Amino acid sequence: MAEWIHTVTARTPTNIAVIKYWGKRDESLILPVNDSISVTLDPQHLCTTTTVAVSPSFDQDRMWLNGKEISLSGGRYQNCLREIRARGEDFEDKEKGIKIAKQDWQKLRVHVASYNNFPTAAGLASSAAGLACLVFALAKLMNAKEDASQLSAIARQGSGSACRSLYGGFVKWIMGKEVNGSDSLAVQLADENHWDDLVIIIAVVSSRQKETSSTTGMRDTVETSILLQHRAREVVPKRIVKMEEAIRNRNFSLFAQLACADSNQFHAVCLDTCPPIFYMNDTSHRIISCIEKWNRFEESPQVAYTFDAGPNAVLIARNRKTAALLLQRLLYFFPPSADTDMGSYVLGDKSILKDAGVEGINDVQALPPPPEIKDNVPAQRNGGEVSYFICTRPGRGPLLLSDESLALLDHSTGLPK
Amino acid sequence: MAGWIHMVTARTPTNIAVIKYWGKRDESLILPVNDSISVTLDPEHLCTTTTVAVSPGFDQDRMWLNGKEISLSGGRYQNCLREIRARAEDFEDNERGIKIAKQDWQKLRVHIASYNNFPTAAGLASSAAGFACLVFALAKLMNAKEDPSQLSAIARQGSGSACRSLYGGFVKWIMGKEENGSDSLAVQLVDENHWDDLVIIIAVVSSRQKETSSTTGMRDTVETSMLLQHRAKEVVPKRIVKMEEAIQNHDFSSFAQLTCSDSNQFHAVCLDTCPPIFYMNDTSHRQIILLHPCCRIISCIEKWNRSEESPQVAYTFDAGPNAVLIARNRKTAALLLQRMLYFFPPSADTDMSSYVLGDKSILKDAGIQGVNDVEALPPPPEMKDKVPAQRNGGEVSYFICTRPGRGPLLLSEADGSLALLDHSTGLPK
Repeated sequence: MAEWIHTVTARTPTNIAVIKYWGKRDESLILPVNDSISVTLDPQHLCTTTTVAVSPSFDQDRMWLNGKEISLSGGRYQNCLREIRARGEDFEDKEKGIKIAKQDWQKLRVHVASYNNFPTAAGLASSAAGLACLVFALAKLMNAKEDASQLSAIARQGSGSACRSLYGGFVKWIMGKEVNGSDSLAVQLADENHWDDLVIIIAVVSSRQKETSSTTGMRDTVETSILLQHRAREVVPKRIVKMEEAIRNRNFSLFAQLACADSNQFHAVCLDTCPPIFYMNDTSHRIISCIEKWNRFEESPQVAYTFDAGPNAVLIARNRKTAALLLQRLLYFFPPSADTDMGSYVLGDKSILKDAGVEGINDVQALPPPPEIKDNVPAQRNGGEVSYFICTRPGRGPLLLSDESLALLDHSTGLPK
Repeated sequence: MAGWIHMVTARTPTNIAVIKYWGKRDESLILPVNDSISVTLDPEHLCTTTTVAVSPGFDQDRMWLNGKEISLSGGRYQNCLREIRARAEDFEDNERGIKIAKQDWQKLRVHIASYNNFPTAAGLASSAAGFACLVFALAKLMNAKEDPSQLSAIARQGSGSACRSLYGGFVKWIMGKEENGSDSLAVQLVDENHWDDLVIIIAVVSSRQKETSSTTGMRDTVETSMLLQHRAKEVVPKRIVKMEEAIQNHDFSSFAQLTCSDSNQFHAVCLDTCPPIFYMNDTSHRQIILLHPCCRIISCIEKWNRSEESPQVAYTFDAGPNAVLIARNRKTAALLLQRMLYFFPPSADTDMSSYVLGDKSILKDAGIQGVNDVEALPPPPEMKDKVPAQRNGGEVSYFICTRPGRGPLLLSEADGSLALLDHSTGLPK
């Protein structure tokens, strides 16, 4: 291929809301009915990697997701492409002889290849990470000067929760008041080092159900749930204030109480929808039950739980020691199926297994019942309810990757490697 | 035993709320935070039978429930006994030489034997039927002149939902405004003949003891759920008005939409509680049920309702995993039963007549005689694209087919065989 190809590769984290976004006041601009707050997860364990490339020889915008070509014709992708193109600036790379004028971006076509290192179907907010990465990478490619908040307002138009993945640490998506959504964007409350004691364990729960899509679900909730309006107007604003305080002061008890209550209320308004939406299943309920019992047994809450639009549990422990005790409990209640190798049952930061004193399956079987269930020990414990666990922590925001070998597009063909 | 024994036996139905009661504004008087509306189920299929006996030979109040002696010392029983005793009147039976003066009732002791023909604490409102029966039977025994609404205010102090079992048909429990609860009582909206097309099928998902008692659960909800107050103040009052209208006009579409919404909202506020309450759930480790039968039942009904021009079936769940499904008419009920049996076949070796109880003739309407007919059931049309790979038995314990029914009745003394206490000893038979 004769002409030049200019590429950029970025890596973006995913995030999990602790005060939930559920419900839009504007479907096309993706403007929410309330603020939300999230914690960004360490991209070392869960991330989207995206390579974007531009070349005069490309004749159309194309995208590959996890190796498969997908269509970019949908409104959300079109929004993001249009908004970033409008903010492209002059770019020059003398070495490679590349000179792009600001207005050229409107005519130049891009190739995008994106890869999630976690299963799309696992309900781990892959669209948040994906759209955030797309916007961030394109902005770098097109030399846009927007800061992270401004980029978040664009990512928001791809996927609401994506706007919160433009920062690390704790992030707030301000709902905004403007009808055009110009003030609906993300800000960083605290970076990933502010509260680095926290350890996060995600339980990827087995589910044969195809979930109701968030877009459809939240629209049904807005249209049919009388309780949602009350939540958005009265409950969430107060919780947002308290959550910001809890994060600022590293007040784990308050953090846990708010996170659990908001997760439950989100699922409550889903149930108050016509038709009702059930994202949590019996395994999810058992996990909640286990955490609630433990929390009430101790002087103060040890673990916060939160569930998104799916059965997976995101459990946040006060510190490493508590996380190890949490993992022991989780392995006790949700042992692996027979023949499961522990190295594929606990992913991410696997060293947590050592902290928990668990090396192999035998150690799991030898786990004693936790003290808080003394009187209520189950007769048997079946495996198979949880597919696997991921151990991670709060993490940083998007980054450019300079290592060529990490690029997902071939630098001479502009096609997926 | 010296001395006479005077006894009375009554039979009372249970009821299921279609606009739910959940949350009290007064714990000791049992005054609710909102009105509720219920349908009384046919006591022929589900009922409490209670025999109450009085005799100078009894030295203490005693009660037996389903054959086991229980304590009457709790506040709820004491409330009911006290309130009825205070309203007792003179009673005379010349034939047997019994003469009781009004004030004697304070000193006379009673024996009570009660029997539910359905499992207690399985979420089938046994305390409702039980307290209603107790109050009704004692009132008859003690010759009290109170009408059903007045009796309902007493039964209410035993168990909130009991007050709605003093009438047949559709009943409303008015929350009342007075602090002393004198205006918190049940009234009949319409009797059991008003809308007799309706057929009710109950899926008993688990007859085990429920994990969170209603009393504790609703108190936690009142104390911790920010959504409950909004429900009680803003949502329910409007739904009550619309539901009364739907019942008056036999408007099944509105009835179904309101019933399903209110059931879901009740469970929503349970989830919004600290700690959260899941009634449509199974926390046993018996088997891994990835999607609970309750969710599947709701899903099945919702799909079917949406595939027809108008809703066919209303669903409602109380504080337990059992589903109460209300079909527009018999024909729809037969189609409903086919769907239920399709999704929830019996375990192998189950005899159909112990899998569908109550009005078993519905099986014939559904074209089902034996387990072979169940296996031969085709998938429902609305499921065409999503036929499940396999259908496992055992998730539903059994079904009960019933209908709206009448209120409490005295069982005639002439048929002494129905009495639960021996008429010469005053002890359980």
